[in-house]
Amino acid sequence: MNTLIDVVKRSGQRPAQSFDREKFHRSIYAACLSVRVPEGEAASIANRVSEAVTLWLNNRPVVTSSDLRRVAGAHLHRYHPDAAYFYHHHRYII
Amino acid sequence: MKKPKFNFDLIIIGSGAGGSAAATIAAREGKRVAIVESNTFGGTSPNVGDVPTKALLHAAQLYHSARHGARFGLRSATIGYNYPSILAWKDIAIKRTGAGGNRKYYENEGITTIYGAAHFLSPHEITVNRRNYSAASFLIATGASWAIPSITGLDKIDYSTPASLFDIHRLPKSLYIIGGGEAGVELAQFMATFGVKVFLAEKSSRLLPDYDQEVGESLAKLLAEKFGVTVLTQTETLATEKENIAHRITYGHAGREHSLRVDHVLVADGRRPSVDIGLENAGVDYTPSGISTNDYLQTSVKHIYAAGDVTGRYSWTHAALLESRIAANNILRRAKLLPDYTGLPKVVFTDPSIATTGLSEDDCLRRNLIIKKATAPINIVARSNTSDFHNGFVKIITDKKGVILGATVMAPSAEEIIHELALAVKYGLTAQQIASLPHAFLSWSESVRVAANKLA
Repeated sequence: MNTLIDVVKRSGQRPAQSFDREKFHRSIYAACLSVRVPEGEAASIANRVSEAVTLWLNNRPVVTSSDLRRVAGAHLHRYHPDAAYFYHHHRYII
Repeated sequence: MKKPKFNFDLIIIGSGAGGSAAATIAAREGKRVAIVESNTFGGTSPNVGDVPTKALLHAAQLYHSARHGARFGLRSATIGYNYPSILAWKDIAIKRTGAGGNRKYYENEGITTIYGAAHFLSPHEITVNRRNYSAASFLIATGASWAIPSITGLDKIDYSTPASLFDIHRLPKSLYIIGGGEAGVELAQFMATFGVKVFLAEKSSRLLPDYDQEVGESLAKLLAEKFGVTVLTQTETLATEKENIAHRITYGHAGREHSLRVDHVLVADGRRPSVDIGLENAGVDYTPSGISTNDYLQTSVKHIYAAGDVTGRYSWTHAALLESRIAANNILRRAKLLPDYTGLPKVVFTDPSIATTGLSEDDCLRRNLIIKKATAPINIVARSNTSDFHNGFVKIITDKKGVILGATVMAPSAEEIIHELALAVKYGLTAQQIASLPHAFLSWSESVRVAANKLA
């Protein structure tokens, strides 16, 4: 399901992209798998983080991609700090 | 280079005390100003904070005085109340104040009003309801909201905060209040006046832990003896659980777990600044306890200022108004001003009310100051006799030369009495100077002269 949320990308490019919940879920799931979280648990964590972020997005029709990264990272940290670290720093980790 | 074009000269986020004065000042100077509000225009104080609470406390204090009027020869055995009518009085008070829901006021001042939650997209741009607005300067005055402590089961019960307590149109039979700060004690006394059994739980060793020790101790004694409030200091609320239509509370006190059953729970455990507005996108530094500013109320981004509760410094409407005016000046003018908080009064509207100014005794201890102090109980002045009221005191703290550093008043009308002492603190008057002023006979202020005289 794609919620009607516009995401302003890091480059500031307009018009903004729509928030893609599936894509977002996949990014959390991938971060969990990257730190060897079992698939089932990774899916469960990704669900919980996606729900929390969707709730946060409730009154925010426009956000930046760094907002999503920050809020998702904070929620992910509660469930799996290592995955959260990876999620925050994936651009710099080879 | 061409100056960048913005939609507005100034956008103010929040229409409460921290934002309203600045909006008016900037608009009257001919600036293009917009004010954004995500809740009711006017902010917390006139809508769900000071104004409604004080209107209700006034009604409660009248009721309490009338019920206990027999000693003055009044027949008040049959006095009663109608709670929905009391709540209706509160609504009248809000309406009359004029600051609550005052969107029209801003529009008449030529200020663009925007309803919705603001979110920074970049240092010069916010988004509200899918529309983006840019401005040369911003003032963040988003205030604070009631903090919800992490207590097992709290999210599964219907609890209230001081902002939502009066949405309930029936008084509960019993109430458990988490937090013995200003709001906690005011609402405990209000509820207890109307016959609600109140349990007041505070983590610290006394109520009002930010005030002098005598205040918390005297107030706890008064609430327990005259209002039947069960004061639970050094108490940690551990869990809440639904039990039929009531709630079971488990709390830790004196190293043991206890539990009790109450109709309703009020969470009044402090307020947290509202900082979730995309500050990272603007590069504004903040912590969960507020937005960091320099002495000129400028944040880490030079065109963004912050005022009021969101800075986490003071949570008083009059402090927010002061900051709002200073921020407006600093945004509009080259000659910057500093907010002067010296002598800022703090008031708790219990009966008797409590007011302080300047340094408390604890503040002086922390600063390692050599002080002199004197306390005058109010029962030594004539007014105490004519009003048959004996609970309270005036305490004055001076440095070794007798210059007044701080004062605490616990007395009827303490909120009025304190201003004399606030002036003394602000302008460095000595106890001798206060004592030399004849204070009107049969005024409560006579106790100020008595306390000052002890230090003169």
